[in-house]
Amino acid sequence: MASEPQRGSREAYDYAEVRNRSDQQSLRLRRVSSRVSNHNYPENDLRPTPAEENEEGDSGPPRELKTIPLPMALKRAVRQAQEMHVPVVSRRQAWRRRKSLHKLKEKARECLHFFTLWRKSLQKIGGNFGGGVESYFLFLRFLVVLNFVSSLLIAGFVLIPSIVFRSVGGSAVNGTGPDECTVYDPNPQGLDLFYNYFLNLLSGTGFMEYSYLFYGYYNNTTVEDRNFSYNIPLAYLFTAVFYFVFCLICIIARMGTAAQVAVATGGGAVGNYSVILFTNWDYGCQGDQATKLKQKNILYRLQVDLEEESRKKKTAALTLGQKLILYSLRVFMFLVSLGLIVAACYGIFKATNFSQIKSGVKGILGLVYEYLPSIVITIANFLVPLLGDQIARVERYSPSNTVIVALLRAVFLRLVSLAVLLFTLWRQITCEGNIESPNCKLCHYNYNDHPCWETRVGQEMYKLTLFDFLVNFALLFLAEFPRRMVVDNWSSKLAQWVGRQEFVVPANVLGLVYGQTVVWTGALFCPLLPLINTIKFILLFYFKKTTLFYNCRPALRTFRSTYSTVVFLVVLLFGWGLATVVMVYSLAQISPSRGCGPFRFFPSMWSIVPTSFYRLSETTQDFLFFIGSQSFSIPLFALSCVVMCYFVALASVYGKSVALLRAQLKLEGRDKQFLVKQIEELSRHQILKHTAGAYE
Amino acid sequence: MGNKQTIFTAEQLDAYQDCTYFTRKEILRLFDRYRDLAPQLVPLDYTGQPDVKLPYELIGSMPELKDNPFRQRIAEVFSEDGEGNMTLDDFLDMFSVLSEMAPRDLKAYYAFKIYDFNNDDFICQSDLVKTLNKLTRNELTEDEVRMVCEKVIDEADLDNDGRLSLEDFQHMIVRAPDFLSTFHIRI
Repeated sequence: MASEPQRGSREAYDYAEVRNRSDQQSLRLRRVSSRVSNHNYPENDLRPTPAEENEEGDSGPPRELKTIPLPMALKRAVRQAQEMHVPVVSRRQAWRRRKSLHKLKEKARECLHFFTLWRKSLQKIGGNFGGGVESYFLFLRFLVVLNFVSSLLIAGFVLIPSIVFRSVGGSAVNGTGPDECTVYDPNPQGLDLFYNYFLNLLSGTGFMEYSYLFYGYYNNTTVEDRNFSYNIPLAYLFTAVFYFVFCLICIIARMGTAAQVAVATGGGAVGNYSVILFTNWDYGCQGDQATKLKQKNILYRLQVDLEEESRKKKTAALTLGQKLILYSLRVFMFLVSLGLIVAACYGIFKATNFSQIKSGVKGILGLVYEYLPSIVITIANFLVPLLGDQIARVERYSPSNTVIVALLRAVFLRLVSLAVLLFTLWRQITCEGNIESPNCKLCHYNYNDHPCWETRVGQEMYKLTLFDFLVNFALLFLAEFPRRMVVDNWSSKLAQWVGRQEFVVPANVLGLVYGQTVVWTGALFCPLLPLINTIKFILLFYFKKTTLFYNCRPALRTFRSTYSTVVFLVVLLFGWGLATVVMVYSLAQISPSRGCGPFRFFPSMWSIVPTSFYRLSETTQDFLFFIGSQSFSIPLFALSCVVMCYFVALASVYGKSVALLRAQLKLEGRDKQFLVKQIEELSRHQILKHTAGAYE
Repeated sequence: MGNKQTIFTAEQLDAYQDCTYFTRKEILRLFDRYRDLAPQLVPLDYTGQPDVKLPYELIGSMPELKDNPFRQRIAEVFSEDGEGNMTLDDFLDMFSVLSEMAPRDLKAYYAFKIYDFNNDDFICQSDLVKTLNKLTRNELTEDEVRMVCEKVIDEADLDNDGRLSLEDFQHMIVRAPDFLSTFHIRI
């Protein structure tokens, strides 16, 4: 054969070779006193290059040594040799400095590790349930941190100044307009029984309505001291806008790192058997159960991929008639699923209207009416995906496509149901967009039903958040724990067939995205909502972790963890988009309530910006005018187009060079084979000639 | 923390820190794990570099390794004598390569060695069959095993010799972003 395996040969390290920078990259190894195993050492360039030694980076000797695949004894020998070969004093000092800097970095990294939230729990989850489930919990942690930082932002710029300046400072603008609109009395008269407190807590009315929780409590106080001025309405507006921008930046940054990996690997196609075989086994998997499960998982995945290949062959061999039937079936099923979604939306619409009509009812029934939209949304989000699964079975897409289609349908349903709820509210508040209708004529919004419409919207979002959390909590105790009890203790065929619950990642992720979208939509009207959401997500983490370890068995069909992060973030962006539309519309179009809130005397929320703008100094105004003018924005736009084109071109060039290099690699291998065959032929020829010559 | 330990000299600890991806604390903790496997065999004083080897049975009984179907190959690859009996150096080496800080090329090199059952520096058909059976507990049919092995060689063999060399393997690993996180033992 071409190369002889160098098994058993005692090779060692050549001290002299380290010094010389020879052209051959191979490292000749000499015998060393310590015992050496039958390894075949790779051809490696061990010495640090002169260029690296002079650089400031930490590519000095210590890092290089760790990456060498040699046994420890040889690495220590290399290290000794390298230490001996740093004779020049300045170089030694530089090396020592680099080493201490390196140690400092290590210590800093250790400290940072200590502060990472929930690191051990995530490790345990990843080890027992795999990367897919771990990516869900990583996503949850990301959302917790995002919400926490946002709530700090809002607290710092809106809440604390409001508290501090509540008594100090006067109104920015005095009231103009009809007096009837300014009457707002959220505290109802009457006895406040204990259970009223509880009902109020759950629905955000009563004592909770006129509090820092909702928009209505904030005043349009402006504090103007000698060298300090703080305009609360402006701060409120800018904080809300900045909050959205900040969330967008965080999501995109996180998506960037995840997408880099996805793009670099050129997309892992289905049926990538070598990758499944060699990189799928999780070495960190501990426990007999987990190992057996992982093995079943790999078995399932291979079988599914093989089946998909055979299915592809079959579909390619379908006759025209059969194809026609299949496609028409798919179109029909698509219409059916669309019909289901429309039906769900209509149900939500009706429920919201009904809830508004019955908004005056007290007691438990009143609470039920308040929560009616949330209940209907939850039922719809539960039933429609279930039916969607049955539909998918008829459609007969390939397994991976089925998952994607189901995910898209569920996302669409969740976001559309939220949009319908908001649309219904909008209709009530603005009298279906008709300013001239009798209810809305006086105050430009429906004063009779909603004296403080922002608080009303905030209350709806608050109720949605709370209800979502309560449903999760209730499911934990009423569905998951009992199911496990039944399956474990009742050994009948039915129980075994139902089996323990699976932790289905996509459905859970959608729940998180939905919750976060609700918070974004409501943040403008309920400033404390991000804080409530932080607490809710933290509790959710512990709930989900508990249910994962006690009630669930790992899913047989795993969700691929590399692409999950990108997919989750893209879906989160959809939600962000919906919330942004709502915010922009509320800021620009609907006139704020006159009886409450920091914008009570402005024609629209955004109009405070031009008003305060004219109070700035002349130079600042000119500068801002210039930035907004065409002579600046058009060149800027053109420049950013050019930069984007450059990056797109760069990316395509990289992709092409990767493909080219791959083809070249294949060609090199073939060349090598060819040359080796030539050599063998020649040597055989020579031997024959010699033996023939010897006999003559 | 502090320099009060007497197990290693400062020079030895420095050398270990340079040669592995562990910090001082982690090295001491790993030494404790190593010693816990056989307290009567492992001395508390390594300053004289004693020659102590733990037999494979003890290594294979560690909770991190005992359920891994490749534990025998892992121990064989990292041990000096190739039989799975590990000294402390081998032990530290093994967990350093399997830690989360080790770079992809280093891991790929050792992963290749692990899957090369017959130690001929190539992953041939028989190695693939053995790997596949270990991964699926022998539950695939013969046909399926054959099909999968054929596909693997098709996809990854670049120099068309019917088996995978180290370069083929490393090239394939580049396309697998999960590799760094799966070839990782938390200790």
